[in-house]
Amino acid sequence: MYLTLKELRHDKLKFSALGLIIFLIVFLVLFITGLANGLANDSGSAIKETPAKTFILQKGSQARLNRSNLTEQDWQKFHSQYHNDAAKLSVAQMTIQKANNADKKTDITYFILDRSSFLAPTALKSQTDNHVYVSRKLEAEGYKKDDIFKDSSSGNTFKIAGFVNNESYSHAPVIYLNTHQAQNILPTSKQFNAIALKQKLAKNSKYQVISQQTLINNIPGYSTEQSSLYLMIGFLYLISLFVLAVFFYIINLQKISDFGTLKALGTKTSYLVQHVLTEMGLLSGIAILISFGITYLIKIKMPASMPFSLTLPTLLATGLLFLFIALLSALLSLIKVLKIDPINAIGGNN
Amino acid sequence: MSVLELQNIIKNYPDGQNVNEVLKNVSFHVEQGEFAAIIGPSGAGKSTLLTIMGALLSPSSGTVLLNNQDISHLSKKKQTEIRLNQIGFIFQNSDLIPYLKITEQLQFIQKISAKEPLNAKKLLQQLGLDHRLNSYPNALSGGEKQRVAIARAFINQPDLILADEPTASLDSKRGREVVKIIQKNVHQQNKAAVMVTHDERVLDLVDTIWQIEDGKLKKIKNH
Repeated sequence: MYLTLKELRHDKLKFSALGLIIFLIVFLVLFITGLANGLANDSGSAIKETPAKTFILQKGSQARLNRSNLTEQDWQKFHSQYHNDAAKLSVAQMTIQKANNADKKTDITYFILDRSSFLAPTALKSQTDNHVYVSRKLEAEGYKKDDIFKDSSSGNTFKIAGFVNNESYSHAPVIYLNTHQAQNILPTSKQFNAIALKQKLAKNSKYQVISQQTLINNIPGYSTEQSSLYLMIGFLYLISLFVLAVFFYIINLQKISDFGTLKALGTKTSYLVQHVLTEMGLLSGIAILISFGITYLIKIKMPASMPFSLTLPTLLATGLLFLFIALLSALLSLIKVLKIDPINAIGGNN
Repeated sequence: MSVLELQNIIKNYPDGQNVNEVLKNVSFHVEQGEFAAIIGPSGAGKSTLLTIMGALLSPSSGTVLLNNQDISHLSKKKQTEIRLNQIGFIFQNSDLIPYLKITEQLQFIQKISAKEPLNAKKLLQQLGLDHRLNSYPNALSGGEKQRVAIARAFINQPDLILADEPTASLDSKRGREVVKIIQKNVHQQNKAAVMVTHDERVLDLVDTIWQIEDGKLKKIKNH
């Protein structure tokens, strides 16, 4: 620690530059992670934030809600077994417009469910007539409480009774309808897409039984977005591992003769290893903390149309992972330090 | 009593197919309060001899006794410990650590050693470095750097001081000053010191002179 602090103090410029590089990489990783999480929320939060663990779909529907059709008979079977732990769900991706402005249309997703089912947000219990609860995302489109909107295809109008959280499905804000309200919009409202269960259920030969995560993975666009973003993040980690290893290596290379002298003077190799690791750990730690701060500012300033979500656990996990990567790089760069022979200090240049 | 005694040291290096015998049956000793110099042409084995004395290199055969302890075939770890606590080095180019201020050069040695610390500032002041205590090495002249290196060698109160051509990068006047300082401290503190040198002009300051030629060492001036 003694050597480390003295060296950081003396070579401020060199270490600031290295810190800046670490900061930029960590910031990029955090930013893309936030974006990936934001997009994931934007795609599946309306499903993810329900207590449903299992979804029952029609056999052969390939885990897609819109490809599945279930009937009242199917519902009776599950309802009699699971009672209130089962709930009907229909999803319809449609378009709405402001009642007095036909030019401004917004894509939305209707979630059609029983008012009393466990899937329904609590506010929905009081949903009557043409009053509906909608996702807060609609606010960004200029909708306010008590606004009236029109379903573009059927022409039915609804009044916004209030906003629930940022629920969305396939990047469209969710509007909650009860079965009664949906009758006027969807002619086939006797049928529905899926049955949600609070319990975990492994298999049923007559239906397709899938977990909540499988359902989300199969929301159109979800997997493609997530896999490409996570590929980028993975590569960023890999690139930073090598970039940092090279930088640390070069920095240590410059100090080889000092290390030789220190060893000749009686400094243990373990002390030098500790010195290098503390130095790189300290530098990375500070850079990571700064990028936490900047990411937090970005999170506050980010417009609602650009989904960005980074929870504290994700933030901390990313930071720790990066610290680990930095120390791993420092370890790679240490190979040279371990091999230095203190004998080089004697004899000047021979 | 000898602080350092070398008995029948042989050091071989593989040289292609042959074996290059750098030190041929060398024996040497230095007593408390004695300042010895080893002279000889380049390539004669001066540096190799010094690295063996300094527990940096093990001889091919023979015994190295430091305070009556055989240090010729210790582990690297033990050698490091011996260097830290029983030997003080003065290198050719002073080899100060560039990011430590002058006092810190000494403090660092005290930090990694378990020995009772001396007053580092006082020692530096005795060597006329009052005004340099808070400077970095790059601000110092060659003579000043070498004086710091001397202070660093003495700070941990070793029994043996090894100096590797301490005047090599200095002009004759400064070189002589530096050797005088070593001589004074060796006598005052009753240490044993060995200096490898090319510089014949400072030989009047040492107590004994040994000459090495073709790997053979002989004493040419007695106490």
